[in-house]
Amino acid sequence: MADTGNPTYASLAPANPTIINGMANVDLPMMPIAESGGIGSNGHLPNINSPASNSNVSDLPSPQTPASDVKPDGYTDMDKSTMIAVIQFLKRGNLKVTEDILRKECGFFEPVDLNGATGALGEEGEVLAAYKTEGNPAEYLDAYKALLAFVEKSLDAYKHEVSGVLYPVLAHMYLELIYNGHRSEAQELLGACAGVQETHHQEDLRNISLVTTRAQMAGQPLLNTLLSGEYTTRMSRDSLAHLKRFLADRSSGPVPRIIQDRLHIDLYDGQPRNRHQVLATQGSITGEAPRSANKSKIYFGLLKEPELQSLINEEEEEDDVDKPKKKKPKKDALQKSKKNDPNAPPSNRIPLPELRDQDKVEKSRIYRDSLRRVALGRDTLPSACFYSFVNAAHNVCSVDICDDSSLLAYGTSESTVIVQSITPAKLKAMKPAEHLTDIDKDSEDVLVRMLEDRSAETQRLLLGHSGAVNSLCISPDRSLLLSAGNDGTIRLWSLQTWTCVVILRGHVYPVWSVQFSPHGYYFVSGGHDRTARLWSTDQHQPLRIFAGHYSDVDVLEFHPNSNYVATGSSDRTVRLWDCSTGNCVRMLTGHKGPVTVLRFSPCGRYLASGSTDCKLLVWDMAAHGTILATLSGHSQTLYTLAFSREGTLLTSGGLDCALKVWDFAKVTEEGREDDVTNTSAPLEDKSLLLTTFTTKQTPILFLHFTRRNVLLAAGPYNG
Amino acid sequence: DVARELADDVTFRLKCLVQDGLKFTQHGKRNKFTTSDFDNSLKAKNIEPVYGVVSSEHIPWRLTSGGGRELHFLEDKELEVADLVSQQLPKLPAAPCVKSHWLSIEGVQPAIPQNPAPVSKHLQKQDAVNPASKLAAAHSGDRNNRNIHGRGLKSVETVRVKQLATHELSAEQQLYYKEITEACVGSDEPKRGEALHSLSYDPGLHQMVARLCTFIAEGVRVNVVQRNLALLIYLMRMTKALLDNTTLYLEKYLHELTPSVLTCIVSRQLCLKPDMDNHWALRDFAARLMSQVCRHYNTTTNGLQTRITRVFCKCLNVDKTPLATVYGAVAGLCELGPEVTKALVVPKIRVLSGKLEQCMEGPSAYERNAAIHIRAMLLKSVPPVLKTNRNPPDLLSDYKSEFGYLGQQLQTNVIKLRQCPGSSSSSVVVSGPPTTMRTLGSPTSSPTPTRIMQQGVTGGLAGRAVVLAGKEAVPGVQQQQAGGQKLIIMSSRAPTTVAQGVESVAGLVKPATLPGLEASGLISTTHGVVTPSSVTSPSVLPPGSKFVLVKTEPKDDDYGM
Repeated sequence: MADTGNPTYASLAPANPTIINGMANVDLPMMPIAESGGIGSNGHLPNINSPASNSNVSDLPSPQTPASDVKPDGYTDMDKSTMIAVIQFLKRGNLKVTEDILRKECGFFEPVDLNGATGALGEEGEVLAAYKTEGNPAEYLDAYKALLAFVEKSLDAYKHEVSGVLYPVLAHMYLELIYNGHRSEAQELLGACAGVQETHHQEDLRNISLVTTRAQMAGQPLLNTLLSGEYTTRMSRDSLAHLKRFLADRSSGPVPRIIQDRLHIDLYDGQPRNRHQVLATQGSITGEAPRSANKSKIYFGLLKEPELQSLINEEEEEDDVDKPKKKKPKKDALQKSKKNDPNAPPSNRIPLPELRDQDKVEKSRIYRDSLRRVALGRDTLPSACFYSFVNAAHNVCSVDICDDSSLLAYGTSESTVIVQSITPAKLKAMKPAEHLTDIDKDSEDVLVRMLEDRSAETQRLLLGHSGAVNSLCISPDRSLLLSAGNDGTIRLWSLQTWTCVVILRGHVYPVWSVQFSPHGYYFVSGGHDRTARLWSTDQHQPLRIFAGHYSDVDVLEFHPNSNYVATGSSDRTVRLWDCSTGNCVRMLTGHKGPVTVLRFSPCGRYLASGSTDCKLLVWDMAAHGTILATLSGHSQTLYTLAFSREGTLLTSGGLDCALKVWDFAKVTEEGREDDVTNTSAPLEDKSLLLTTFTTKQTPILFLHFTRRNVLLAAGPYNG
Repeated sequence: DVARELADDVTFRLKCLVQDGLKFTQHGKRNKFTTSDFDNSLKAKNIEPVYGVVSSEHIPWRLTSGGGRELHFLEDKELEVADLVSQQLPKLPAAPCVKSHWLSIEGVQPAIPQNPAPVSKHLQKQDAVNPASKLAAAHSGDRNNRNIHGRGLKSVETVRVKQLATHELSAEQQLYYKEITEACVGSDEPKRGEALHSLSYDPGLHQMVARLCTFIAEGVRVNVVQRNLALLIYLMRMTKALLDNTTLYLEKYLHELTPSVLTCIVSRQLCLKPDMDNHWALRDFAARLMSQVCRHYNTTTNGLQTRITRVFCKCLNVDKTPLATVYGAVAGLCELGPEVTKALVVPKIRVLSGKLEQCMEGPSAYERNAAIHIRAMLLKSVPPVLKTNRNPPDLLSDYKSEFGYLGQQLQTNVIKLRQCPGSSSSSVVVSGPPTTMRTLGSPTSSPTPTRIMQQGVTGGLAGRAVVLAGKEAVPGVQQQQAGGQKLIIMSSRAPTTVAQGVESVAGLVKPATLPGLEASGLISTTHGVVTPSSVTSPSVLPPGSKFVLVKTEPKDDDYGM
């Protein structure tokens, strides 16, 4: 892609990688086609619903794409099977026209049988049908108890790894019994054995126990995940051998069959892990992440900073009078930062917008601020300023503060977005068009002149959503604001005219989260439809659709180098996606509840994530998805995280009205020491918690470090 | 059978919906699952949610039969359009706004009202109740240290000496202490108001409480000897402010505070000219403080209330106690609630009334004055108790034989109370100033009214309080109620003129509080001043304004201001 030398934005748009990633295993919530009055329904609603049909969607906005990108003769076998699946989907939905267009475009004219064995509809039924057994319902309980006894008696070395199969086997046994109509036995089994499971499985077991008839088994997201046979447990070779010996002893009965058919046991060489290590990675709906999912290399380094020498030099000359001595170290620092990071992606891996003059001024301002910032550490704790929303108890859903800390935006459950200036500068609107023509375009302060002085206000109300505003993001250059709402739309607002510029309808279901890339131009969104989408500000169709999560995509975070997007989901996993290929490059398991917040460290190497299980996990991107540290201390859901600008402190806040400051420098130090072998246990140390600031009944919804390292926090006062 | 199947299925669907709804709760960043979350999850499933079934009342299940079937229906009341149109619009909720404060400054949380108290009340309580807990914590800390250091090294034996001076005040705190104490007993009334406000609202005073309590105790001791009534009043107001501070737990300092307050109640002489100065108000005020202390800090272990009542009883028992002390004891006991009154005051009435009779007819004007006060106090607080404890036929002879001299007046008061149905509640308001004080002192009220409140509560000392014009208009009402009453209007919005205040009181008073007090005369007189429209709609009341009945003594002093 990058070989054209001068990449354009549109070269990002080729479609094929998007289609393929992970689709085979994803069951998107199927929207009933007959529906017409649904949420934000528009003409192409069914199209957007499936990643498959997006092959044509994402083809559309790429007029500059070379035709060679979509060549009919270039199809491999896999493409063909994908094609068949797509067309089957379209047929089922009676989307005749779309199908015809697709066939014409791709030159694919082979007849496709709707009742083909791979049809998705048949698939589900088939998966369910596999539960049909003639097994004696009475032997299930005994068999499971035997398994329990076996695990209990195993050597300590194997015990904890082997116990990983307990939960999935129990779940599948229960479902098998239900499917075959032995309801009372099933409930007896669950009643007898649910208690011995790990606490983080209890919630799932409760959900599973809701299902009491065969009819209810269809359409349950959790069950579909289980049924797709994707539950993964990792085991060392020795543990597996140990388990196999047990299974060989009782070759008949449900346990060996279930383990054989329904579990995916990911084998690795090395020592079996202890209980602590096993527990650390369990918890997601699909068990643990297989090693293969986390193998690919990640360019986690930062991009090279563009030339700013000239601008900075100018300033230094101004400063020279005051402190001529400081000149040298400054330059050194600059030189150092320009040294190429071996882990950084090539700067043209993803086409980024060119720097405008305005951006350069901004960059130099950042640089200047960074020289004046307070160095924070475990001995110098931050000052924190708290913005509380009064008269908005239980009402504020989302907060964002822009990077230079001049604007505060918050969205309420009453579908309003309010932007407030938190500096003395007022919010001005642009002059009307007829006055704009009078302005001299070449003058230096054209941007200032564009704005109407009389319209200055400290607070602006943006109305447009028809549902709670779940997420907000101000663009890095402070000219745009993104908001995502329960109504399934993303709105792009201009902060110069204070109007809605674009309504992006792509997600059919509520959109939970939206975020700008650190370089602007791109943004990602994720929602209830289990996909994350990558957009750009100048196109109304998504550039990429990241599908793979088994439940809602709750939160998103761009990597500082804009090449990757991390998503956190209700399936309790964190995934990292590559923006240029659309592939999932990391799958991180370990949370025991839906992930509610993600944040990359400023250096780009570490990812911190928080969840409803009140834990804060730190992941190392350089290693293959290992947990570096588990920070526990909160008593309720975490909603926000912030790294200090130099990455030495991590602050977290949530519903429990407490702001905690963690010693991140220590986390990274110790992480480097033991050179992250795959089986090392995550760091868990009380001394990492430096301090706690509590508020008066004000949950903390947003944290932000200013460029000079003052911590800003915000939340609604619920008194 | 079908019903069971259906019920099963409905349960399943509902659970699924609730599960989905929880996601909305989570993204709404709330703890509570709301109906809108449920609506949202219905919408996400493409089911039209049912709107308009918001009802706070019970929905009756009604059936009607017609055409051979039974139908369930909901009763819809007919609403008059005219009513809807003419109805006052409900008040708009206040617009949300952003307020900022420092949560921490270089890692230290400043002690400002926006931040929670540095040492929570719970901890202070624990500290006071169980001093050993700190020691235990220190010990466990020691043990941990030893474990870390241990092994081979000679563990350093640390002997914990209990520090004698545990309270080190910083320079700022010393300055604050100086300013506060000076302001509290100084002559500058606005400054005193500020100081008292600071005492009752600032978190983080707990380090200085010890000093402040000592200051109060010393002050009372000196000023009782010097008979400086004004200073005693100021010190009691300080005590009140400390008690009102929700972040402080004062149990550790009660040994200093209680004697001081008790002194102010039952001391033989509190002022230089006992027949002129209104030391009765101070006794009343201190008695109220005492009851507040009892309510907050009485536990079975410290037996605070028992000890206090014992002191009061002793004052009542001795026949030779001066009347001022008797007054204080009666006031103190009556403030402790109807139960105490019933158990300890009522049996004593006979003895007291004998003495009162004697004093009333005696030569000394001072004694007569005191007797009048005691009688007023008894007539005010005893009848409500008698009313609940005696059965209706209130025979004059019974009363006379039981209570002697006071019997007749008690009987008339009890009968009056029985006659007016609403009076029981109003009498509670009158006889239990603590309740009104509590409603006023609620932490939500903004600083300004609190200051007024404090002045008002200082009994008859309130000079700035707005006095209802009705005093002159209906003197009868004033006379009949022992001690007299004044309506004081307080509003959290500053620009309320007296006229408005009177209007709003008239509007509210009519339906609510004064039905039994022959208030019709009062209302009718105020009607003359008031424009009819404002009387009919109580909503003209400026939001947040409160009106309180505060007992005032016939004589007003100027100390409060």
